[in-house]
Amino acid sequence: MLALADYMFYFLSLLILVSALGVLTMSNPLYAALSLAMSMLGMALIFATLDAWFLAGVQLIVYAGAVMVLFVMVIMLFNISAEKQAFSRGTVSGFFKLASAGVLLGLIAGSIYMSAETVFTPPPIAASEKLGDATQQLSEALFSRYVFAFEVIGAILLVIAVGAVALSRSVGGSHAND
Amino acid sequence: MPMIEGMLKVSLNHYLLLSAILFSVGILGVLLRKNILVILMSIELMLNAVNLTFVAFSRYSANIDGQVMVFFVMTIAAAEAAVGLALTVTVYKKFREVNIRFFEHLRG
Repeated sequence: MLALADYMFYFLSLLILVSALGVLTMSNPLYAALSLAMSMLGMALIFATLDAWFLAGVQLIVYAGAVMVLFVMVIMLFNISAEKQAFSRGTVSGFFKLASAGVLLGLIAGSIYMSAETVFTPPPIAASEKLGDATQQLSEALFSRYVFAFEVIGAILLVIAVGAVALSRSVGGSHAND
Repeated sequence: MPMIEGMLKVSLNHYLLLSAILFSVGILGVLLRKNILVILMSIELMLNAVNLTFVAFSRYSANIDGQVMVFFVMTIAAAEAAVGLALTVTVYKKFREVNIRFFEHLRG
């Protein structure tokens, strides 16, 4: 008997895949960005069904919030409309690209089919109880075992913020050649 | 039909398969599209697919380390989007178009 969580998973995966295909096929970048936001939303809900509540919230705030605002702001800055030629040219190379992505998908799906069943044979019924409050455990791990990586990430963010500003200011500035 | 129901019952494999399909769609976006913005969006899709794998494994092996990795991946993804969009802005400033073929002219 399928539980509510199963139907939820199928609905969310349908939502995610349809909006991901929207990103791939929409010729207007603004529609692609909206599809991406929809896919991020579905992914946040899937994280919630996997008991990763904190990550679901972070996914909403960082991806569906901050990153999408960045994308939409850049699109508005450029005033881009639908492109005449959205896809790269060449039927043969396009076929090879499709085929290589298909082969990759087949390889991953085959390896999932052959390995994951054997690695995680017992259904983890007690997993959620063992994991307990995932947010508390996440914070404990983040600030004890991973505290060095956490600090390094902070330093990297600072460097990248400065670098992004410098990059968009200096190189080939819009007023340099005027 | 107990067998089909058993296959439809959501397990770790379902999450991994969803992640694999999402990753392939992202790869196709990177390979097929010419707009830098859409390519960056496809990269975000691929990073999201990897995040889903991390969270699913973390949930099914009752080990929190996967979620810590997702935290780091999200941070790096946001930073990568910022740098990519800054590069896109420089491409647009020079060539008035956000096409991936102009990237090679950014040198120097």
